[in-house]
Amino acid sequence: MELLLFNAFNGLIQGVFYALMALGLALILSLNSVINMAHGGFLVIGAYLAYTLTPYLGFWGALIAGPILAGGIGLIVERILIRPVYKRVDPIYSLLLTFGLALIIEDLTRTIWGPQGLPLEVPDVINSPVSDVYFFITGYRLFVIGITAAAAIGLYLLLRYTLLGIRIRAGTRDLETTAALGVNIYKLRAFNFAFGCIFAGLAGVLAAGVLGLTPPMGNSLIMPSFVAIIIGGVGSLFGAVLGGLIIGLAAGLVTTYYPAASEAVIYLMMLIVLVVRPRGLFGEEGLFE
Amino acid sequence: MTRIVGIAVMWLALLALPWWLPLIGGYTALGSKVLIYAIATMGLNLVLGFTGGLSFGQAAYFGLGAYGAGMTLKYLAPSTPLAIVIGTVVGGLAATVLGPLVMRRRGIYFAMITIAIGQLFYFVMVRWNEVTGGEDGLAGFARQDIHLGLLNVPISSSGTAFYYLVLLCFTVAVAVMWTVLQSPLGHTWVAIRENRRRMEFLGIRVERYVWAAFAIAGTITAFAGTLNAMLFNFASPQDLHWILSGNFVIMIVLGGMRSFFGPLIGVIIFVVAQDYLSSVTDNWMTFIGLIFVCIVLLFPRGVLGIFRRAEAV
Amino acid sequence: MSAVMQAPAPMAAVGETAAKTPFLRMDNVARHFGSLKAVDGVTFEMRAGEMRAVIGPNGAGKTTFFNLISGLLPPTAGQVIFEGESITQQTIVHRVAKGIVRTFQITEILPDLSVFENIRVGVETAEKLNSKPWISRSERERVNQRVTELMDIVHLRNKANRTVGELAHGDQRVVEVAVALSLKPRLLLLDEPTAGMGDTETDHMVDLVRRLHQEQGMSILFIEHDMDIVFGIAQHITVLDQGRVLADGTPEAVSNDPKVRAAYLGSIE
Repeated sequence: MELLLFNAFNGLIQGVFYALMALGLALILSLNSVINMAHGGFLVIGAYLAYTLTPYLGFWGALIAGPILAGGIGLIVERILIRPVYKRVDPIYSLLLTFGLALIIEDLTRTIWGPQGLPLEVPDVINSPVSDVYFFITGYRLFVIGITAAAAIGLYLLLRYTLLGIRIRAGTRDLETTAALGVNIYKLRAFNFAFGCIFAGLAGVLAAGVLGLTPPMGNSLIMPSFVAIIIGGVGSLFGAVLGGLIIGLAAGLVTTYYPAASEAVIYLMMLIVLVVRPRGLFGEEGLFE
Repeated sequence: MTRIVGIAVMWLALLALPWWLPLIGGYTALGSKVLIYAIATMGLNLVLGFTGGLSFGQAAYFGLGAYGAGMTLKYLAPSTPLAIVIGTVVGGLAATVLGPLVMRRRGIYFAMITIAIGQLFYFVMVRWNEVTGGEDGLAGFARQDIHLGLLNVPISSSGTAFYYLVLLCFTVAVAVMWTVLQSPLGHTWVAIRENRRRMEFLGIRVERYVWAAFAIAGTITAFAGTLNAMLFNFASPQDLHWILSGNFVIMIVLGGMRSFFGPLIGVIIFVVAQDYLSSVTDNWMTFIGLIFVCIVLLFPRGVLGIFRRAEAV
Repeated sequence: MSAVMQAPAPMAAVGETAAKTPFLRMDNVARHFGSLKAVDGVTFEMRAGEMRAVIGPNGAGKTTFFNLISGLLPPTAGQVIFEGESITQQTIVHRVAKGIVRTFQITEILPDLSVFENIRVGVETAEKLNSKPWISRSERERVNQRVTELMDIVHLRNKANRTVGELAHGDQRVVEVAVALSLKPRLLLLDEPTAGMGDTETDHMVDLVRRLHQEQGMSILFIEHDMDIVFGIAQHITVLDQGRVLADGTPEAVSNDPKVRAAYLGSIE
């Protein structure tokens, strides 16, 4: 029973990372209409920059700086690489582009910081166990949940109540009309992409505190994020978050009984959803069809 | 006319490859690898370039073919033809069974599902340690000579003999694909790519055609996978990895995805480049990534695309 | 002998001759969108071999009218009867199979393919060959011959290998007509065939439509705004206004009808 709880909780934490990644991916997918295969790369950028900056800014400073820098690099990438391909009708080009970017980022990370795993220093104040019985519920893990919830709520408030957020939502519905109404969609897409990358970077910093840093960490977190979006439903940010949590939890539970299948079960769940409810939990019907 | 001459030259060059390739610093196995990847990508292109489906998880079928062939040789029977057949059927079956999940989607959603399906097979094969060797891959098998009555084709010992087997398979695959693309089925695929809605209005069950293309492509790619396993006498998780899937696509785009032989050209350039880069620098992955970026931004129509009628990108 | 010629209409019931059976009939057909009555009780009859125009001011319901015939929309009330058979609930695909082909509703061209290849898709669809991964040489010859025939009818043979996406708008529309013809239509619905065309292109299209009617005996129902064209080629005109039939008759009768003049034609005369 304790093992089950242990795995379930770990799965939940994993699911939180998936959710954070999926949220950023979904943002970029809806407005920019781009599958950001390099999303894992931005996770890595956030994580490694946080690692490098920790000695100077401390954990808290790095926690803020990492994602912001990831977002900044996202802005540059969007401007130089992604913007030229928006006008291309075939989505294959943005896919290949971000794919290539993912390769570059992983390799450069390996070159600059080395292939071995690196640890991220987390302040003791939040890293201690919270309970004697459930030793695995460390403060840090709760912290991760808290920060992610805050970020998600922050995004919700931004999308709901700010002008930028409203424009992003409008653009997701109908980009042409939004542009016709005088909104600068170039800036809109740039900001949206940056937001997505900030989330990826945040996931990177948080994950680094739990898993440590390795160059391929981003690419291994991105695939389940796709599944999270598919299960949650394309077009739904809430679905993406929920999807991430669900698959994390499911993977955790499966680990208790059948560890070898813990990744495969994620994709199996996706298949089941595709058969039973193709548009996902909260997806809109007819999207991309 | 130039086209026929070009194709004839190509075939002669392929026939004579074991002779001239080593002269310019290559080796016969590289030629085999190129042809194997060419079969895989030309199969994929039936969906990607000709039907317009963004299939980004094709490595799954390549890997299934490879593991299917390897496992046949290792556990079932020391027969090369059997290994090829079983591997091809396993991959083809997977593509056929999963086709319905994919056939209804379009654009990016199609791509996402193909990617995720690819991951499913990757993790199944990588974690199934007892049977597949897990992360270390499947070893302990070797391609067997082919016995045709009195004739013995020594492919187990001779890389050159194996190359000619691969060339034969390539020729057969090309003939089949060419025939299908010249047929009404092939015409319908292209029409679906060009104007799907129109074809639906004409009463065409577009989904079925996409399914057929997907299934056939998976079968052909699996066929290539079986040959790959026998080229290296090894099946590895890399054969199923999403990076390989992406490589397949970039090879097609590099050569020109609307052209029949585009994938072959793309494979040649890419495989040679990758071979050279990985021997010269540790950062070959960065350069490969740069190839992706440059092709998308600068040469989206690919090599052969430059010669074709102008098409909107 | 042109293969585009339509076969004689089938017998609808014992005792009625083919000529008496109305080719296309709409019985008090209505199409409402909530409280908007786009088509409001239209009764309409057309004979085989007719060249008939549908005209009316903007918002008269002409497009909805076409949608009801082509099968894009089911009527809220009434029946649509084609060659004696009620097709009211049939889908577009069924109606195409029955011979009702509408063109110029959506973009229909396959832009990256040649004129020949575009038409070939239509022919292969009509011959139900689409799913065949291989056809015999003689079948292939037959298909190619038919495509050539169609290109000759529409006078596009000299552009057979041109990429349709690169052709002028007028030629693209002619290609669409050719593809429609490949489906062996018994009734051709042309939705503003000359829209967006310059003078020369308009002349070509009008000439084509006229030839289809006179040389191929095609039954044609078309929507048109240009009155010169309408009065130039139509045998019979139906005027719609606010979802109802305002007038229905020969060009002279319609142009002299005071109701029509009041609603529509006055400014044109």
